[in-house]
Order: sequence, then C-alpha cells, then structure tokens
Amino acid sequence: MAEQINQVSTGKKIGFAVISLIIAAAYFTWLDYSLMNMQGLDYFYLFRK
Amino acid sequence: MAIITKQARKKIWAFLALGMFSGLLLLPLFLSLPTGASGADPVPAASAKAADAKSVEKSRDVWYKTEGPVVGAPAPKTTDGPKDYPRYNFESRVLLWVGLQQHLYYGSFVLAVPIFCMVVEYLGIISKDKALSRKYDQLAYDFVKISLTAYSLTALLGGIVIFTFLTLYPTFFTYLSGIFRPVMATYALLFIAESGTLYIYYYGWDKMREGFLKWVHVSMSVMLNVIGTVLMMLANSWIAFMQSPAGVDADGRYLGNIWHVIHTTLWNPINVHRLLGNMAFGGGVVAAYAAYRFLTSKTDEERAHYDWMGYVAMFIGVCFLIPLPFAGYWLMREVYAYRQQMGITLMGGLLAWLFIIQAVMIGALFLTTNYYLWQGMERMRGAERYQKYIKYMVFVLIACFIVWLTPHTIVMTPAELKAMGGQQHPVLGNYGVMSAKNGAINTIITTTVLSFIMYQRGNKIPTVKWAPLGNSFLFGFFTMAYINIIWLAIYGYYIPANVRVGLSVPQVASTLSCLFIGVTLNALMLKGAKDTGPIAWGQISVRSQYALIMLATSFTWMMGLMGYIRSSVRLFWHVNEIMRDNSPWAFTHTIGFGANMISFNVLFFWMTILFVFWLGSLGAKKAPVTAPSGQKVPIPASSH
Repeated sequence: MAEQINQVSTGKKIGFAVISLIIAAAYFTWLDYSLMNMQGLDYFYLFRK
Repeated sequence: MAIITKQARKKIWAFLALGMFSGLLLLPLFLSLPTGASGADPVPAASAKAADAKSVEKSRDVWYKTEGPVVGAPAPKTTDGPKDYPRYNFESRVLLWVGLQQHLYYGSFVLAVPIFCMVVEYLGIISKDKALSRKYDQLAYDFVKISLTAYSLTALLGGIVIFTFLTLYPTFFTYLSGIFRPVMATYALLFIAESGTLYIYYYGWDKMREGFLKWVHVSMSVMLNVIGTVLMMLANSWIAFMQSPAGVDADGRYLGNIWHVIHTTLWNPINVHRLLGNMAFGGGVVAAYAAYRFLTSKTDEERAHYDWMGYVAMFIGVCFLIPLPFAGYWLMREVYAYRQQMGITLMGGLLAWLFIIQAVMIGALFLTTNYYLWQGMERMRGAERYQKYIKYMVFVLIACFIVWLTPHTIVMTPAELKAMGGQQHPVLGNYGVMSAKNGAINTIITTTVLSFIMYQRGNKIPTVKWAPLGNSFLFGFFTMAYINIIWLAIYGYYIPANVRVGLSVPQVASTLSCLFIGVTLNALMLKGAKDTGPIAWGQISVRSQYALIMLATSFTWMMGLMGYIRSSVRLFWHVNEIMRDNSPWAFTHTIGFGANMISFNVLFFWMTILFVFWLGSLGAKKAPVTAPSGQKVPIPASSH
C-alpha cells in the first residue's frame, strides 16, 4: 500500500496541493473575517478607506 | 465462597473509604454554609426591624457596588515601626519572597503531579495491551512517589510562610485573616482531606491493583485532584483580593459576603492561568526527574523506561504550555479592564522590561521543545527523511525568536539616543511592536506543532487510500496558516490601533487550527500505518536529556518572574487602594535585583528538589518494566 501511495503521479500531487491551498486560503479568509466581525471590527478596514 | 466473601469485604471497605473521603470533601462546604448564608442575606427579614433599631451601618462594595452591612474593622493604617513591621536586620519582604516562592514551587508541583497520575493510571486501565498497561501503571506510581516527599516539604514551607507573615507583617496578616477566616478554616480542613487521600492513594496502590478496586483507586485520584484544585483556588483568592479587592468598602471594612471577597474580578483568570502553569511546570519537573534518572541509569532497561517517562512528561507539559500564553492574555485583558493604569504599569511602564525577559524565556522554551523533538526522532528508524527540513525550521524559529524579543524602546545614555536618532532604532524599532511580536510567537508555536507532527510520523508511513490527498492538505493548510499569520502581522502596521488589537484573535485561531486540524488529520492518516521500525526507547542523545532539564529550569525561572511581576504591580499597596504598605520596602526593586532573587529561588528549588529525587531513588526498586518485545533498547549515543 505504501508503495502504491508513492506511485501517485507528480502532476496529481501538484493538483492536490493547489486544491488544498485554495481550500485553506478560503478557510483562513473566512476565519479572519468572522473573528474580526465577532469583535465588532472591520477586517477589510484598509480596503474600504 | 471464601473468596467471594473476601471480595465482598474488600468492596465494602472500598465503598466506606470512598464515602469517608467524599464526606471529608463536602465537610468544609457544610461548615462554611452558615457563613455563606449570612453573607448572602446578612440581615434576615424577621430581624430587620431590630437591626434597623440598632441602626446597622451599611456601606458600598468597592467592586460589586452592592450595599452590605459593615461587619469588619477598617483596614489598619500602618506606620513604619516594630508594632506593624517588626524585623530582623534584613529586608522582611525578601525573606517572605523566598518563603512564598518556594512554597509555590512545591505547591504547584504537588498539585500538578496527581493530575498526571490520574490520567496515566486511567490510560493504564483502559489499555488493552497488558504490557503497556503495566508500563502506564508503573509510570503513574513513579509520578506519585516523587510527589510524596515534595508534599511534606510543601506543608513545611506553608508553615514557614505563616510564621514569617505573623512575625514580620502581623498587622497586615491579622487584617487579611480576619476577612478570610472561613476560607482559611476551609483550607485547613481540605488540606487534611488531601493528605489523607494522598497517603491512602499511594500506600494502597498494591492492595488496589486489580479489578473493581482499581477503579476505586482511580476514583480516589479524581477526588485527590478535586481537593487539590479547590485548595489552589482558595489560595488564589487571597492574592486576587490583594490585587483587585472586592467584598469590602473603600475603608477596607468587610461587608459580610464571603463569596464577593473570594470571587474578585481577577480570581478566575488567575485560577485558569495557574492551573495551566502548574501543569506545564509539573510536566517540566517530572521530565527533569526522568532525565536525571536516565543520566544515572546503569542498565538499558532503566534507560528505556526513563527515556519514555521523560517523553510522556514533556508531552503533557507542552500540551499545557501551548494554551498558557492565551490564558495569560485573558488575565492581562482583565487587569486592563479592572484598572487600565495597572495594565500600563505592567506592559508599558515600570515592569515592561520584565516582559522582555519573559519573552526570551518563552522563546527558549519553544526552541528547547523543538530541539528535544528533533533529538527524539533519532530513536526512530525512518525519521531520517525529515532531517533535511530541520535546518529551515531552525532558521524560522531563530528569526521569529529575534523579533519576539526585540524591545520597543531601550534604555540609553543621551549620547546613544542622539546617535540612534530617537528612542527607536530606524530599522529594528519596527520589530518592537505587538504586530510583529504576535506574528513571531504564532509562527513559533505553529512550527512547534509541525515538529510534533513530524515526530508523530517519524517511524510510520501512512497507508490509508487518501494519504496523498491528506499529505497535500497538510502541506496546503500549514503553508496558508504561515501566510495568514504573517499577512495579519504586516496588515497590523497599516490600520489604526483599535482595529489592530483585534487581529491577534484570528492569528491565535490560525495557530490553534493548525494544532487541532493538523494533529487530528495526521493521527487519522497514521491509523494502520506501516512501521519503519520500533521506537528504540533509551537510544537518544544525552543532549536531549539536558534539553529536558533546560525546559524545567526555564519553567521554574519564568514562574518566579511572572509571580514577581504580578505581585510588584501592587506597588506600594498591601491590598490595592485599600491598605497601604508603609514599611521601608514599599518600593519596586531594580530589574537586576529582581532577576538575582528569581535566580536564587530557582537555584534553591532545584537544589532541594534534587535532594527529593535522591531520596526517591533510595527506596526505588529496579524499574520493573521491560521494553515490549521487538523493541530495541540499545545504549544511548555517548559522544556529543
């Protein structure tokens, strides 16, 4: 089984990594926004100015 | 039949013992009930008229702002003289400082260790692997054995502290004990209950080794920890009262509600911070004990046992170290909410430099933890594949450590000030602000989590079908967490302070996300993983054991430092804004003097605890646990 895992193509690995990065970016943006909002603060303060 | 009768008799005795200790646990509550009741409703309706006739004086609580009958005398106004401040030919405050600090060290240790015992003993019970179960049981027994001698020393030091108070600060102590009379009585009763439970827990270990009695034994450890935690909380109420008094009026007169006196605004933050701190400290001390035993071991079996013990203790300690800064943050937030000036004195004024020293200690703690984990990977075959990443992690940790300890402003001569062009360095000054520091410490903690994940995977290769996806997700998640933490740190420079302070919350949440999501995902991936070789307990460098000792020493030094900071912030007050300290020592010491005193206390504690370790080793049997079959227990690397 371990050998099978190593057989996953590099292209597929890069694909997984890109998808993971997108999911993680969305998660952290949501986290930043919602936690600032919970404190009554504007996360996008700089961009609205 | 005879066996059944014997078992039944054992059960009855076990129930009786548990019942007795439950009763002892509840006794202080019953005893303090009348006081509490009179505190909650001091003037019964029926006697209200009579009370009015006598015109009971009422006053307002300084914190709760409620009205209550004046029950106690006002806080004494002391004068510098033998009546209020009798003294030896020495600074009384320093004598008390040493006594209290030593009592606190030992108290923290004996409160933390039984919690470890409870967890480890429980793990032993639920473990299906008999060899591992015995190993856990032996470990829990080793833990409690160390704490037993320390327990006697704690009580002894407590007595010394009371005598020192009575001898050197009689007026202040009389006032404080007058207010806390029911609490002190409860404390004494609980202490008796704690002692009894501890001794039966320890000496009954062999008798209650199997079956139902083992559960009774674990229940006893739960009770022991409940009593210990309540004891700690009661003692915390005294210091919390001194810092943020409640339940008294502006003259310091007790208003009859003992709950208000206990439940001051800083009580709960101090409780949480101390509990976590005690656990981290206890883990550190036990890890240091294991390191000491490892270094003095004569056989491979012993070495393997104490290597494992050191790892478990370090792991528990670090688990409590990670949330500790957040508990400290809550405490500081409450300090600011209580008195803003007090917060400024702590973090931006007189005591701010001590926080820089604290930053150095925290950085050292995390560096040492990472170092130990990397060293620990040496005992796993297959962990070599992660070695190549360590140098990058060292770079990240050191860079963040340097930012983390950069001061906002530094003490300078006028010539230096002129040469630098102001109080802040034109480049380095940018790293001395909270935006940069928050980013740095969160990066340090995230890197520590990453080290731990590497350690977990050291001798394992995931075999689950979704392993490539899981690995990619871990990579993506950690990468984005680092980017997010650093992005928030940079963003903080461009927005106003009132918005900037809020950024620390998502930064912390990013770090905690890595901890919970990363470790959980990794654990799921490692289910049924292929072993590349067993963990060769005992085959670890001697340096790693010194790292454990360093970890414990850093905890000890930091506890001394933070205790000094918290106590010093009262400045010239015995009880903040209520009772003034009029002794000749009502001033704040220099940083150098404070640091020397902390170092002395640390040294004294470690010398005495080494004595305790030595005493423990006198009665020690040969470690009975052998490594599970198939595990290599070679001689540790000796050339460093």
